[in-house]
Amino acid sequence: MSIAAPRYGATSAVRLGRGHRTLAIVGRELRRRAGLGTWLVVALTYLAVTLIITINTEFASLIGQLSLSTFETPYASPAWPFLMLIVATSVGAGSLAEDVGNRSITLYLSRPIRRIDYLAAKTAATGSWIVIAAVGPGLAGLAIVLALGWAPASLVLTGAGAFVAVGLLASIFFTGLALALSSLTTRSLYAGVGIFGVVLSLEIGAPIVSGLTGNTTVAYASPITDILSVAQSAFGISGPYATDPLTSAVILAFAGVFLAIFAGWRISRVEVVGE
Amino acid sequence: MAGELLRADAVTKRFDTVEALTSLSVDLAPGTIGLVGPNGSGKTTLLRLLLGLIPPTSGSLSVMGRDPQKEPLLVREQVGYMPEHDCLMPDLSGVGFVAYMGRVSGLPRETAMSRAHEVLEFVGLKEQRYRKIREYSVGMRQRVKLAQAIVHDPPLCLLDEPTSGLDPEGREEMLGLVAALARLGGRSFVLSTHLLPDTEGLVDQVLLLNAGKLLAAGPVAALLSSRTPETVVRIRGDVPGYVAALSRRGIEAKPQGIELRVVLPSTDTRPVFEAANETQTQVRYLGPSVRTIEDLFLSLVEETPARSPP
Repeated sequence: MSIAAPRYGATSAVRLGRGHRTLAIVGRELRRRAGLGTWLVVALTYLAVTLIITINTEFASLIGQLSLSTFETPYASPAWPFLMLIVATSVGAGSLAEDVGNRSITLYLSRPIRRIDYLAAKTAATGSWIVIAAVGPGLAGLAIVLALGWAPASLVLTGAGAFVAVGLLASIFFTGLALALSSLTTRSLYAGVGIFGVVLSLEIGAPIVSGLTGNTTVAYASPITDILSVAQSAFGISGPYATDPLTSAVILAFAGVFLAIFAGWRISRVEVVGE
Repeated sequence: MAGELLRADAVTKRFDTVEALTSLSVDLAPGTIGLVGPNGSGKTTLLRLLLGLIPPTSGSLSVMGRDPQKEPLLVREQVGYMPEHDCLMPDLSGVGFVAYMGRVSGLPRETAMSRAHEVLEFVGLKEQRYRKIREYSVGMRQRVKLAQAIVHDPPLCLLDEPTSGLDPEGREEMLGLVAALARLGGRSFVLSTHLLPDTEGLVDQVLLLNAGKLLAAGPVAALLSSRTPETVVRIRGDVPGYVAALSRRGIEAKPQGIELRVVLPSTDTRPVFEAANETQTQVRYLGPSVRTIEDLFLSLVEETPARSPP
């Protein structure tokens, strides 16, 4: 290599504000997470949910029992939170861990942005992917049955509200969880294992502890149980639910926000310039 | 460039029990500044303070007239930072990475991309700019780090150990790039290094640190000329005896490698030969000492009492 002729010279380029800088990080993060694995899981979620909704709607309309609960199957089954878990792991595990691991966070934080901008960008990108996988499939399924004329618009609209409510709630929780676990390590693999480990151990452990102690409130510790209770309630399934849906919704939202704040605290402790 | 570039007023930074910087007071004008000291001398701490990433325990700082603690974003808009360690994004191409860093610094998308091409050509990565960074050699990585530091055209660049990990040829090329940038003008540099020869002939001001304390700061020429002139003497024979003979004549002599650094009271060199005659040694060379920043640093370290352990 040799030194090139110094054509580089000073310019007086316009500087855009923090919003633009943050959006640049969001854009990069969205593209960075668009790996084959992410696309496959998201595509599988869309395929499964839209198929179930259309088939259920077709049968329900044939037997004249079309109602809001017709749409509940995909989101009120444990398979859906499990798919969300895979999506959250795929898009969120490396979100912060990789930047801390390869120390590119040094470059971000030496730029004219605040740590909160950086974290907001990471949250927006991770959250967007999870929302695409959590809310999108239900809406796509409803769009299909509406286009086919298999369900009235008013019912589809109500169903869309339920999908958005449940999907957003699950997105808040999984986004916070993914960021929190990602902030704890410098390896995305460890963060991914952690995300799975936390959710599955709570899912398995909570009923056991609840059974042993006779304390039913322990069931609220299981995020999948909470999501299913909220989903069943949102789609008009009559109780009894494993947990109170309203309480579960509050717990999921609170846990998601708390975990995101925890991730922010962790990032604030990162040494920016190593000796 | 006129006006003040960096000012520190009694800045102390303490980490638990370790005092990384002790009552640092400097006032440096725009130009090329060498931030020099051994590992652990507080160089990186000072860079972190200048970027507003950590607050000083006491004292105040200003970078181009702005307080990094009160206006960190405005300071960082004016600063390009090249970290010492590897901190690149291996999944991006060179041009993608530099353009991205330009955007995070506030450049519009098109401007960032065109600037990325310019600076990568300048640092000698024109042919490799579309390759993924994970495929870059150490030298190429250092160059792309320099490119990202200058992509947004900052008036001040903080370069932390830019020759770290480079072979002699790569080191020369990197220092050549910095010199070329400095020659373009309109931009100041703080070159942080523990390799004192890196600063020779490149910097016009120097800030010497040792164990968190300021040894000296100011224009290189003024600092070098302010020291007592020395004479280099090479002899063959009994070195300790020769030094003792000089000492008896009231002349201080310090062995340094194969040479003796002698401080003569005047331009009269006769005592050198009289001492040689007395001790039956041969004077093989006698000439004025060419002082370097390294000499200055070493002599200042010798004059400074060692810091007691925490």
